[in-house]
Amino acid sequence: MADELKQPAASDEQLVVATLRGNTPAFGRLVQRYWKMVFALALSRIKDRMEAEDIAQDSFLKAYARLGSLRNPSRFSGWLSKITLQQCTNVVRKDIRRRAVLGSQATPLTDLTAIPAYSSNPGLTEGQIQFVRQAVGQLPEKLQRLIVMRFMGELSAVQIAEQLGKRPGTVRVWLHRAYKILRKDLAPLIEEVGQ
Amino acid sequence: MNSCQRYRDLIEQYLDGMIGDAELAELRAHAQDCPSCREEFDRCVLLQETIRESFSSGMTTEQGAASVLARLAEQPDAGRGQSRLAPAWLAGRQTAVAAGILLAAGLLLGFALGRTSSVKPAEVPLPDRVSMSVADLQGTVLVRHEGSGVWQILTAESDVYLGDTFHSAAKAGFTLELKGESRIEVDQNSMLALTSYNGETQFFLEHGECTANLESPHGPFFISTPHGRVEALGTEFTVKVIDE
Repeated sequence: MADELKQPAASDEQLVVATLRGNTPAFGRLVQRYWKMVFALALSRIKDRMEAEDIAQDSFLKAYARLGSLRNPSRFSGWLSKITLQQCTNVVRKDIRRRAVLGSQATPLTDLTAIPAYSSNPGLTEGQIQFVRQAVGQLPEKLQRLIVMRFMGELSAVQIAEQLGKRPGTVRVWLHRAYKILRKDLAPLIEEVGQ
Repeated sequence: MNSCQRYRDLIEQYLDGMIGDAELAELRAHAQDCPSCREEFDRCVLLQETIRESFSSGMTTEQGAASVLARLAEQPDAGRGQSRLAPAWLAGRQTAVAAGILLAAGLLLGFALGRTSSVKPAEVPLPDRVSMSVADLQGTVLVRHEGSGVWQILTAESDVYLGDTFHSAAKAGFTLELKGESRIEVDQNSMLALTSYNGETQFFLEHGECTANLESPHGPFFISTPHGRVEALGTEFTVKVIDE
């Protein structure tokens, strides 16, 4: 098992089992594999980059603590995405309570315009990044999650279906609905960037 | 258009992450000769790229993993919880690995005991900036300011505050330059905290290794660990804390 874990293609299941046996670096491999997906899921709901990084870290910690309750280790990423979305919901609820106490002084977490954008790749301008995030943020939550799992989690439609316990055909239909909406909403940007 | 239907299907498969290498090569070759399919394919590639870029984290995946492992090292309870909740599918294999789990739990417990006996950073409403600078930064080093649960990437330009905790990942390290010529080099897989002790800034090495190079002459200088304080008698010394 130790040699298998060193392979880049060690499966999620192998890494989960190794983690449960006390191999913490194996969990580090899982974090590396899904960091982008978890961060993007958080960012799609929370909008603030620092807050999203914090939620991403918290989500992995929660997953680590609850790993023993994961019934099917091969469905780690689907389970992890649920934990992340729950973390986001908790943060949003806390924010609503905080705003109720502070009144209008508090900045809502969902206020897109107040939040500086960040990209490790300077190809898009800050305005363009906000535009894309806004377009994804306006998708129904179910579709948002699929888009993030597909593009940031690097999972295929079939893998997403396995992770979420859905039929591949259903996931493909949902994904194509999301592509259609995004292509329409992002058409001006795609045109601009593509030139 | 009908002759292009196969390539439109391939573009859909590409978007769904279900296209094979050979089919992708075929699609690219066709797109070079067919303006309509090229435009469609380019738009799909751009759609993916813009979304990926817009949702990218400031942390690399390695830095993200280091930040999570650093927080795990601070929360030994998390590890104990997962072994207690080990699932039925692993139960049959547990006897064989019982010694390993006990060892891991022992290490975590040892770490927990070390932490509870350690000197905690002073409670201050706002952290005080200390006159130190970061140098020789290599690999992923994270810093967490006192009162914050978030680990951030340490950079050469980062200001250093009382209460900061530094975590260096594998193959990483950095140097804290102090007043005068003194410096502290922190090795990989180490955690160093700047705490307040009798009004002075204290270096607390939670785990890992650091080397102090002090200017001569120097006043009293200590590095604390979960196991006790080490006083500098000369100008160079190394402190190592291992979980055993």
